[in-house]
Amino acid sequence: MAGFDPQFVMAAFDPQFLWNGLVVGSIIAVAALGLTLIFGILNFINIAYGDYMAVGAYFAFAANTQYDLPIVVAALIGMVVMAVGALVVDKLVFERFRSRSAIVLLVVSIGVAFVLRNLIRIVWGTGSRRFSGPIEAAPQFFGIRVLPDQVAIVVISVAILGGTYLLLRRTRIGIAMRAASDDTDLARIRGIDTERLVTYVWLVGGAIAGIAGILLGLDAQIRPNMGFTALIPIFAAVILGGIGDPIGAVAGGYAIGITQELSVVVIPTEYKPAIGLLLLIIGLLSKPEGIFGEATR
Amino acid sequence: MTDPILRAEGLRKSFGGLLAVDDATFEVEEGTIAGLIGPNGAGKSTTFNLLSGFYGADAGEVIFEGEHVEGLSPDERAQRGMIRTFQITRELTGMKVMANMLLAAQDHPGETVVGALANTGSVESREEQARERAEDLLKFLELWELREEYAGNLSGGQRKLLELGRALMADPDLLLLDEPMAGVNPDLTDRLLSRIDDLQSEEGMTFVIVEHDMDVIMSVSDKIIGMHNGQVLSVGTPEEVKSDEKMLEAYLGGSV
Amino acid sequence: MAVGDLALLVATIMGVYSLLAIGLNMHWGDTGLLNFAHAAFFAIGAYTSAILTTPPETGLLANRTVGASYPIFVGLLAGATLAAAAGVLIAVTSVRLEGDYLAMVTLSFAELIRLVIHNEGWLTSGAQSLKGIERPLEGSVPIRYDLFYFLLVLGVVAGSYLLFRRLAGSPFGRVLHAVREDEEVPLALGKDTTWFKLKSFGLGAAIAGLAGGLWAHYVYAITPNMFLPSLTFTIWAAVIIGGAGSYLGAIVGTAFIVGIRQVTRFVPSDVPFASDLPYIRLVVIGVLLIAVLYYRPYGLLGDEERMLAGSEEGAD
Ligand SMILES: Nc1ncnc2c1ncn2[C@@H]1O[C@H](COP(=O)(O)OP(=O)(O)OP(=O)(O)O)[C@@H](O)[C@H]1O
Ligand SMILES: [Mg+2]
Repeated sequence: MAGFDPQFVMAAFDPQFLWNGLVVGSIIAVAALGLTLIFGILNFINIAYGDYMAVGAYFAFAANTQYDLPIVVAALIGMVVMAVGALVVDKLVFERFRSRSAIVLLVVSIGVAFVLRNLIRIVWGTGSRRFSGPIEAAPQFFGIRVLPDQVAIVVISVAILGGTYLLLRRTRIGIAMRAASDDTDLARIRGIDTERLVTYVWLVGGAIAGIAGILLGLDAQIRPNMGFTALIPIFAAVILGGIGDPIGAVAGGYAIGITQELSVVVIPTEYKPAIGLLLLIIGLLSKPEGIFGEATR
Repeated sequence: MTDPILRAEGLRKSFGGLLAVDDATFEVEEGTIAGLIGPNGAGKSTTFNLLSGFYGADAGEVIFEGEHVEGLSPDERAQRGMIRTFQITRELTGMKVMANMLLAAQDHPGETVVGALANTGSVESREEQARERAEDLLKFLELWELREEYAGNLSGGQRKLLELGRALMADPDLLLLDEPMAGVNPDLTDRLLSRIDDLQSEEGMTFVIVEHDMDVIMSVSDKIIGMHNGQVLSVGTPEEVKSDEKMLEAYLGGSV
Repeated sequence: MAVGDLALLVATIMGVYSLLAIGLNMHWGDTGLLNFAHAAFFAIGAYTSAILTTPPETGLLANRTVGASYPIFVGLLAGATLAAAAGVLIAVTSVRLEGDYLAMVTLSFAELIRLVIHNEGWLTSGAQSLKGIERPLEGSVPIRYDLFYFLLVLGVVAGSYLLFRRLAGSPFGRVLHAVREDEEVPLALGKDTTWFKLKSFGLGAAIAGLAGGLWAHYVYAITPNMFLPSLTFTIWAAVIIGGAGSYLGAIVGTAFIVGIRQVTRFVPSDVPFASDLPYIRLVVIGVLLIAVLYYRPYGLLGDEERMLAGSEEGAD
């Protein structure tokens, strides 16, 4: 069908798609940031990460609609709950498997995902939910429809990314995290207490997962499997950015979000998810040696 | 003696900035035992990895039985009769000792899906033949009692023996042994050496052996290849290499 | 439904899923390959057989324009073959990857396949269900049909069990086991390990494809939502709980998991929390999976001695 219809080519520059891509990219970038921090230090693929996002969103939802708290406060609650939650899951489960292989941990995380997702279903039901807030008219800027929620998503994600950047650059623990992410053993030699580091990583990574889930819920709907279904492009961003590389993950996140939204110009809309899938496959296949050369294992 | 069965020509391999093997050239004559010596980090194991195809060489050629093999994968080189062992034993922990041995049988018709399902006479007889050979080798290596034990439960020395047995099981023309005697008890070491000697003299098998025990390697080898810093420093009879100034220096300068 | 009907239904589901577990056990238990595309192989088998045996839709709302009316056994065979081909194709690109990366790649391929099934309505009916799939010999068996179908599935399970066990115990299986333990060893001994991995992938996918066909011809109608990643994860849980490496374990583990998932069918709907039961049982499966990996990594019927061999004093 496509061909070289000038309208199609024009559509590639449709700023509306670009804006949508920026919004989606912001969410993926934040989520990928949290995942890459965890992945870089714990060295296993945590399938439950998407469900961490969902838990964050649901707690924020509960605070927002069931206890009538303002959305900002609710979001903070969601973040804190998930930060602590990630740590609790580690103490209850992952810590006991620390000496096992990455493969065992991957399968364990599947079990964790099962538990979290279905606890959500039991507590909040299976239907989709929304944060409460006035349905606002979408103002147009230069012909682009810009929802207030979308602006919030973009602004909040920039704040989160900036805050995390400062954390990783300026604080002792952040610098240690980056060192450990480069090489877990090396960090141990240099006298960094890795177990304490792991605690911080779960706290920071969990909080970021929580807020990513909230942003995702703000953009679309809150559903029990919202995080799991969003996982593929997030992993793609992490892989493309280089595991454990925060800046790479963020860049990857924006790139994937924007590519995905712009892709509707050339491929049918219903194939949009294929972008994340293909990028993940290509990213993994093009780096056979455990991604980014010597990498972390 | 005879024609070279193996020829390495200008082999080179670097890891990052480190030249692990630097322009190594040597040959090994058919039906002889060659000792590959050198201080720790000299590049001996890396050379083995280049010969057997586990590492791709940055440059150089490997000629085995008169043919270039540098383009072949490790399994193809093994199928042609060049079998190597690993310095750090690679026993298949979750497989029994007997299965470890049988795995090495070559040209086994039971290794195809159809062969496995049909289980024809030829499959059975090949398996039977492999079992007999494995029994012979395991008895010699004093592992026969342990044949139904998982390889992961063996001691370090026993693992070395199993690794050697498995390599012999493959009936190689050329066997590359990376420190086969490390951790094996001295009585057995002597018997192993005499077995290697027998295989060489009676079956014309060729060996390249990496070994740190100078007395052992000098006594068993027809030829010594001395390496240092990735380079082949000295090649000759044991006597020649023993008295080679460059080698002495390498050892004194290298380890304590 | 009477309890007897329910029991047959549940037993048939157990049988079909057992086939999936048998295939996955060849991948993971025997060869150490992290295949996370199993639901896709199942889907390929189901859709292939359904499309080949069910004529296109007619009428105003017709969606699927492609279909045929081949005999069912042709459909089943084609489904298994196509699933095997897909398995080999995916494996060709990815088996060289390290374990957990292979998991991610195969999962992505599976989702891609599901996306195609979902979107190509002309072929698959898309998000709507592909309906009216015929059942083999319906109306011409002398016993009640659901019993017949159960026996059919049981026969296939028994045959596959014997076949795969034989493979695992053969010299072929020995090489697969060696790949699982340490791929470089068989490589050093002259085995083309990549080729063995492809064969393993193909065989396991073929049996998953056959399971898909049996599923399609049992349930009349299939939709893309029957083939979500969570199905793959469920089969993984079954294999691990049953004991990776044991084919009997794979079947027992599946019976166990499906039992937990289906037990709610037998529970009257007026007990407290009845509506939450489906989710409670999934929580239970998740907890069980973790507990087994922690307390009993060799599963119900796996080989404890093998699992602990070389791991310094066993259960770390
Ligand atoms: N895979 C690798 N990556 C990086 N460096 C390597 C690798 N393999 C070997 N090296 C380096 O190459 C050099 C040669 O190593 P090699 O193992 O070949 O030495 P060797 O002669 O076998 O020593 P030893 O007697 O200790 O076994 C060493 O400096 C080693 O650290
Ligand atoms: Mg060495």
